[in-house]
Amino acid sequence: MLGLTWLRGLAARRRGRLLATAAGIAVAVGVLASIGSFLSASKATMTRRSIADVSVDWQVEAQPGFDPTVVLDRVRRAAGVRAALPVGFATTTGFEASAGGTIQTTGPGVVIGLPDGYRAAFPAVFRDLTGARAGVLVAQQTAANLHAAPGDTVTIGRAGMAPVLVRVDGVVDVPQADSFFQNVGAPVGAQPPAPPDNVLVMPADQWHAQFDPLGAQRPDLVHTQVHARLGHQLASDPSAAYAAVSGRARNLEVRLAGAGLVGDNLAATLGAARSDALYAQMLFLFLGLPGAVLAGMLTATVAGVGAERRRREQSLLRARGATTTQLVRLGVLEAAVVGLVGAAAGLRLARLVGRLAFGTGAFGATTGAAIGWASGAAVAGLAIAAATVAVPAWRDAREITVVAGRRSVGRATRRPRWARLGLDVWLLLASGVVFWLTGRGGYKLVLAPEGVPTISVSYWAFAGPALLWSGAALLAWRLADLVLGRGRGLIRRSVRPLAGNLCGTVAASMSRQRRLLARALVLVTLTASFALSTAVFNSTYRQQADVDARLTNGADVTVIESPGARVGPAGAARLAKVAGVEHVEPIQHRFAYVGADLQDLYGVRPASIVAATKLQDAYFVGGTARKLISTLSARPDSILVSAETVHDFQLRPGDRLMLRLQDARTKQLRDVVFHYAGVAKEFPTAPRDSFLVANADYVARTTGSDDVGSFLVDTGGASPQAVAGRIRAVVGAEAKVIDIRTSRRIIGSSLTSVDLAGLTKVELGFALVLAAAATGLVLALGLTERRRMFVIAGALGARSRQLGAFIWAEAAFVALGGLLTGAIAGWALAVMLVKVLAGVFDPPPSTLAVPWPYLGSFVAVALVAVVVAAYGTLTAIRRPAIALVRDL
Amino acid sequence: MTAEVLVRCGGVARTFGAGPGAVVAVRGVSCEILAHQLVAVTGPSGSGKSTLLHLFAGLDEPTAGHVSWPGIGTRTELRPGPVAVVLQGPSLIAPLDVVENVALPLVLGGASQHEADAVARGALARLGLEALAAKLPEELSGGQAQRVAVARALAGRPRLILADEPTGQLDHVNGAIVVDALLEAARHLDAALVVTTHDVLVADRLPERWRMLDGRLDTRDTRRCSA
Repeated sequence: MLGLTWLRGLAARRRGRLLATAAGIAVAVGVLASIGSFLSASKATMTRRSIADVSVDWQVEAQPGFDPTVVLDRVRRAAGVRAALPVGFATTTGFEASAGGTIQTTGPGVVIGLPDGYRAAFPAVFRDLTGARAGVLVAQQTAANLHAAPGDTVTIGRAGMAPVLVRVDGVVDVPQADSFFQNVGAPVGAQPPAPPDNVLVMPADQWHAQFDPLGAQRPDLVHTQVHARLGHQLASDPSAAYAAVSGRARNLEVRLAGAGLVGDNLAATLGAARSDALYAQMLFLFLGLPGAVLAGMLTATVAGVGAERRRREQSLLRARGATTTQLVRLGVLEAAVVGLVGAAAGLRLARLVGRLAFGTGAFGATTGAAIGWASGAAVAGLAIAAATVAVPAWRDAREITVVAGRRSVGRATRRPRWARLGLDVWLLLASGVVFWLTGRGGYKLVLAPEGVPTISVSYWAFAGPALLWSGAALLAWRLADLVLGRGRGLIRRSVRPLAGNLCGTVAASMSRQRRLLARALVLVTLTASFALSTAVFNSTYRQQADVDARLTNGADVTVIESPGARVGPAGAARLAKVAGVEHVEPIQHRFAYVGADLQDLYGVRPASIVAATKLQDAYFVGGTARKLISTLSARPDSILVSAETVHDFQLRPGDRLMLRLQDARTKQLRDVVFHYAGVAKEFPTAPRDSFLVANADYVARTTGSDDVGSFLVDTGGASPQAVAGRIRAVVGAEAKVIDIRTSRRIIGSSLTSVDLAGLTKVELGFALVLAAAATGLVLALGLTERRRMFVIAGALGARSRQLGAFIWAEAAFVALGGLLTGAIAGWALAVMLVKVLAGVFDPPPSTLAVPWPYLGSFVAVALVAVVVAAYGTLTAIRRPAIALVRDL
Repeated sequence: MTAEVLVRCGGVARTFGAGPGAVVAVRGVSCEILAHQLVAVTGPSGSGKSTLLHLFAGLDEPTAGHVSWPGIGTRTELRPGPVAVVLQGPSLIAPLDVVENVALPLVLGGASQHEADAVARGALARLGLEALAAKLPEELSGGQAQRVAVARALAGRPRLILADEPTGQLDHVNGAIVVDALLEAARHLDAALVVTTHDVLVADRLPERWRMLDGRLDTRDTRRCSA
């Protein structure tokens, strides 16, 4: 009964405070639920996208001496298997074809026998390029090597047996050749370095007719795999999906009892995604939690404004016979009401944010995840309500000297215990030590060893930024306290332009309210550092994702000529005419032997390559991009090599390097002399391991061919996808056209492909809300707490300008001081976050990206909130003074 | 010689709110406060004493009639300067020490901090409060705080001191000390003093008494006594 009366009274007379407290809780719940739902949804996306890219889930290799049909039967009966078909693999001595009066031959190759229905069951294994979809199909590279086209005849060499003649029906591409031609059961390091160059596919019946005899004679050259497709109704979390899939594979191996080995492509893909998922989880911890903590602190500040009034009310109730238990119950009741209202509002807010940022209002990918995140965020909201409303009420109700409560204005004689102990300095030192330990070589935040179900996360790394954030907050408090306490002269001089002869009084007032002002400044510091670090991190992430995509794709749009196609640099002119194309840069692609090692060689035009492909200095060692590329121009036989090559061959600048390249005229390898000029770590379209960069003219001169491997197209801001479409219409099936956005989605990591755009929007949006609250609301509340002071000054005759001097001086100190300390702390935090979360960056950033427009908006929002709060306070105290004098 | 009129009220009324719930705090008051006049305005709680004092001080505006300050100036020229107000409750500014509080009206009036501090210390010394100069309001008793408020009124060298229930929250002993301080200030400055009070003992200390009842002021009920 007392509780209901109390609540009615609160709702009628303390509505503003209750709503403000509930709003703070709503923001905290909103942050947690929004980011949680992003995390859950992105994990599900990672799982979905990674398994969508797998063309064959399991490749089960029948072991010598065991009947493949038994293996097939057991695979078909394994849990979760939707389709399973046997595939024959036969190694040939080579292929031969005659075209245009010349005979082309290849080295050893592989002939695959596909059963009926295979293309339907595993549609992503082969991509049709030309000719029929069934019959004898030749891989693109093989067709190029043999100069073969549909209708041509190819001879297949069989070891120790007569060759076989087949008629080519079509040409195909094997997009995932690496996994398709894997050595099943072999560890990662023992896998073949590259898939076979020469591949031919034929129907199973035909294959058995040609290669069963070979298998009888040479069983080492013929083997059978069972390819299986599994149901993809997996857990949305990549880790859980990985555990389930790899568990099934191990179970099958046990059931096979040695008859077959399982190549678990699905688990291998999920294994890569699970570390990305953990990185996403880390991002939540590093970037999401601070927002919720901030919202909790703001709630505590709002709730704290009513503390004195509550103490008075408690004293009155106690004087009328209320017991401590009853007083505590009232506090708990108030906390429950604001907690529930705040949690409900926060969940609605998160739904709205989810719709705007992620296009969905659900809190997770599954019902379980949705319930988990929504209830978890709501519980956090209730906990904040309990901590900020119920606990202070309980503490006050138990304290005998209620009046003595916390005093924020007056003679601050003794610094808090943490300040006397130098806790801020210790925290910053500890943060530095943790950062140093985690920054040393060999550190990995997420460790997901291939094939091991469990993955480890170095949660310890979280301590570095957390300690820095806490230490910076306490240090900001100490500095504010120091400046206001000992630097009164400085404050007086600083506010003189604003306050005139009142500057001494304003400085004295600020000095004696330094605990209040320091508290407000700390909140601004924390908010600014949160916003800055999050914004810089996200911006740097976006920058690196673009660099990654650009490195992989080479340009906005890349046109890759088919192997064997004879297109010279003049081909660029045709592409340059396409609408939206600003510049076309031809790149030669050859293979060159460096000793026994076959490496990719890229021939570039030194005059235009730097500008055309936005080469970054970070791609090179030993000079800037411009300088090293200009070396290729000054001395055409210069060459840039990988660091590994430099190490292996002990190269020094200027050293002679003999490469073997194919001569286009003789088709034979010939020695070509180059001179080592520098190290290339990365290069557009180049593989991540060893490659070479040389002058295209020199390569053309020495090999007798200026054939271009690819054209890098700069769209100059036009939509890469649209331009790619138009280019496809021009080049047809002759060349492969990839735009940077598609490339980013296909070949980026799961984390890149999920894209942090949604998370960024949520975090940065909430940071703006928190900025407004931390500056405007906290300042307004602080000024409201001291309304008595301004009213008295008004009654004594202070003019608006003079009252404004007090208010603007405090506002400026809190806002500018907080933004300055927040900027310093935020920058340090951003550096630390980028270092600690280095695993999410590919390639690692050489510089941080600063999102100036966002930071400008943040400062603007904070300053506008301050101006609104200060102006609002001034307007309130400009009311007819009598009304306020009566309020005293 | 006729005494100078500091405040003149003609048919002044002050109504709070509107409609049936409106409260008429002051109705049809006409009076004059002369230079050097010492007057107590008495009456029960809610009779309109404080509202009338606020009208005298220019803190409030009448809803009917008019208030003027012939011997002082316009409404905007009253504070800080010729009119000083001592408010009912604690009226010292918490983050300023006693000297800074007393000096504040002078600084607000344009004096330098140095000059204002010197005058403030003189005012405190006159009321025997110099020992409190460096203390903060929270370190003062209620009586000390109210005497400091009187010193603040004294420091501005006003011609009219308006004290609204200055002893309302004090015991009789401290109340008497505060009234002594007010009378000393008025005598020292040769200023007029108007004190609202419902305390007969306080009213008896002033030579003239006006009575307020239900918003109406009765200035005829005067009773001469020595201050």
